[in-house]
Amino acid sequence: MRGANRPGGAVDGYLRAVGLLSRAAGVFAAGLIAFGVLVICDMVIERYLLGRDTVWQIDVVTYCVVAATFIGSAYVLKTRGHVNVDVLPLHVGPRVRFWLALATGLLALAFCVVLFVLGSLYWHEAWANNWRSDTVWRARLWIPYAAMPVGLGLLVLQYVAELICLVTGRTPPFGIGADRLRE
Amino acid sequence: MSPTQEGALVLIVTLAMLLSGVPVAFGLGAVSIVFLLIFQGFDALQVVAETFYSGLNEFTLVSIPMFVMMGAAIGSSPAGKDLYEALDRWLYRLPGGLVISNLGACAIFAALTGSSPACCAAIGKMGIPEMRRRGYPDDIATGSICAGGTLGILIPPSITFILYGIATETSIGRLFLAGVLPGLLLTGLFMLWTLFIIWKRGFRTHAPDFRYSWREKFQSIPKIAPFLAIIVGVIYVLYGGVATPSEAAGVGAALCVTLAVVIYRMWRAKDWWLILRDTMRESVMILTIIAAAVLFGYVLTSLYLTQTLAQAVADMHVNRWVLMGIINLFLLVCGFFIPPAAIILMTSPILYPIIRAAGFDPVWFGVILTINMEVGLIHPPVGLNIYIVNSIAPDVPVTRVMWGTIPYVLCMFLAIVILSVFPEIATWLPNHLMGAVR
Repeated sequence: MRGANRPGGAVDGYLRAVGLLSRAAGVFAAGLIAFGVLVICDMVIERYLLGRDTVWQIDVVTYCVVAATFIGSAYVLKTRGHVNVDVLPLHVGPRVRFWLALATGLLALAFCVVLFVLGSLYWHEAWANNWRSDTVWRARLWIPYAAMPVGLGLLVLQYVAELICLVTGRTPPFGIGADRLRE
Repeated sequence: MSPTQEGALVLIVTLAMLLSGVPVAFGLGAVSIVFLLIFQGFDALQVVAETFYSGLNEFTLVSIPMFVMMGAAIGSSPAGKDLYEALDRWLYRLPGGLVISNLGACAIFAALTGSSPACCAAIGKMGIPEMRRRGYPDDIATGSICAGGTLGILIPPSITFILYGIATETSIGRLFLAGVLPGLLLTGLFMLWTLFIIWKRGFRTHAPDFRYSWREKFQSIPKIAPFLAIIVGVIYVLYGGVATPSEAAGVGAALCVTLAVVIYRMWRAKDWWLILRDTMRESVMILTIIAAAVLFGYVLTSLYLTQTLAQAVADMHVNRWVLMGIINLFLLVCGFFIPPAAIILMTSPILYPIIRAAGFDPVWFGVILTINMEVGLIHPPVGLNIYIVNSIAPDVPVTRVMWGTIPYVLCMFLAIVILSVFPEIATWLPNHLMGAVR
């Protein structure tokens, strides 16, 4: 594609758009965790102070944390928060490090794509069969399950962006560059 | 291929995958899917999404982001600095008081956060420059903070204990209690060593005429008292049978954020975002590894690898302490390379039946496992705390920090030996407060 690498070209547009999406997802995921804290406080007040039974709180807070995990994953990838063991990448030459980063990136992307497809099928099954939770609340499960395809879809987009940045030299392999030379 | 050969293949490929630099969660997930495809065919993939999701769909896991938020709220506020200052003002007259203040602050901070890097960064930011300013050698100043920081995962609340509790279905409350006395033992050993070495090299204290007034001493209390009250509150709620760990952690997180806002005036949107962002990043990282580890555990179990390995070890008929020595060595080597969360989630399902069969108490083993993980945090090549300290004091060479941590690694080995000879140090408190198991 001619001109795809020019500043303002298709590649930059994709990277910017995905970056924005991941950031928005990160803010949303952080909001879900904050909401979870409030729900727990509500549950503790209702159950222990007011002596009432709680019906929906445990389900909601658990679904919030699970959803935050899937939806926030792209932002965490973008900010290099998914922990890895970088002993080998730190001790090989730049060329080997590049190919290692490309190979591991492609492998991780393949895993995310497979999980995205399987997660979408799982969500569709829950939606088509109107699955309900086996708790007192009887939640419609397609709603919490939607976090899996949505989050993994964002993660796939972000992984593609990471690989583009790696191949075009926008970011160094494994982020090991001038800023990460530790010794 | 026999189950033993399959097991060896899976373990070697998994280790190679993790060392390649791929994010741990995605590497574990990829290995799991590949082995499911190879050994059980395409149909086996049907369970992957359900297993991955249900691995996270547990109310107990909610405690992880909540405890992380407690640490993040306190870590992003100047509470660590105040805690350190308060202890220094009260202990400055003691010989080596500064080091005791540092390690004591680490231990107290550990009781507010379940994470070692958070503990190391919060106290180190204040403690390291101050120790260096007063002429302490660089290796002692940095090494003691690296080591003190590791107490974060031993003194409750501890993310490591939550993960171990979930992976082995051991009571998290019992594990938390089991960490208290060993945490104090390790703090004591760290203090003793540091006092010894600075005595040998010559004490550095405040100038002889330097004094904090009583007013200055008492001024330091109001800022830290509420955080200490939260520690006591969370402990009471957990062990008074009032609420579950997730509920205690949720309320603790809300209170810590509120106090950070009220005491340190952190009400700007940027302050809130920093707390939430750090909480989200660390929680998502840990929870994604958990989901992948549950999938990996499913593969190990469905291929009968866990059972085969446990049986193979049982058939060796070695002395149980030799076995424990081998397990410790295995965990230490893993800890040199792999982050604690991944090690615990990957190895616990394999090690748990082995240690039960050998007659060890799983709660006691949780403590031993955690101390092993602490070694990995301050031991090269991964040694996360070393790099955190390096970012606080970039002019101290990493090799000097590493040499500074070695004596503390030896203190941890000594703690493991003491705990092996006197397992009651770990088991007495949970058995006393919660009743003996079976």
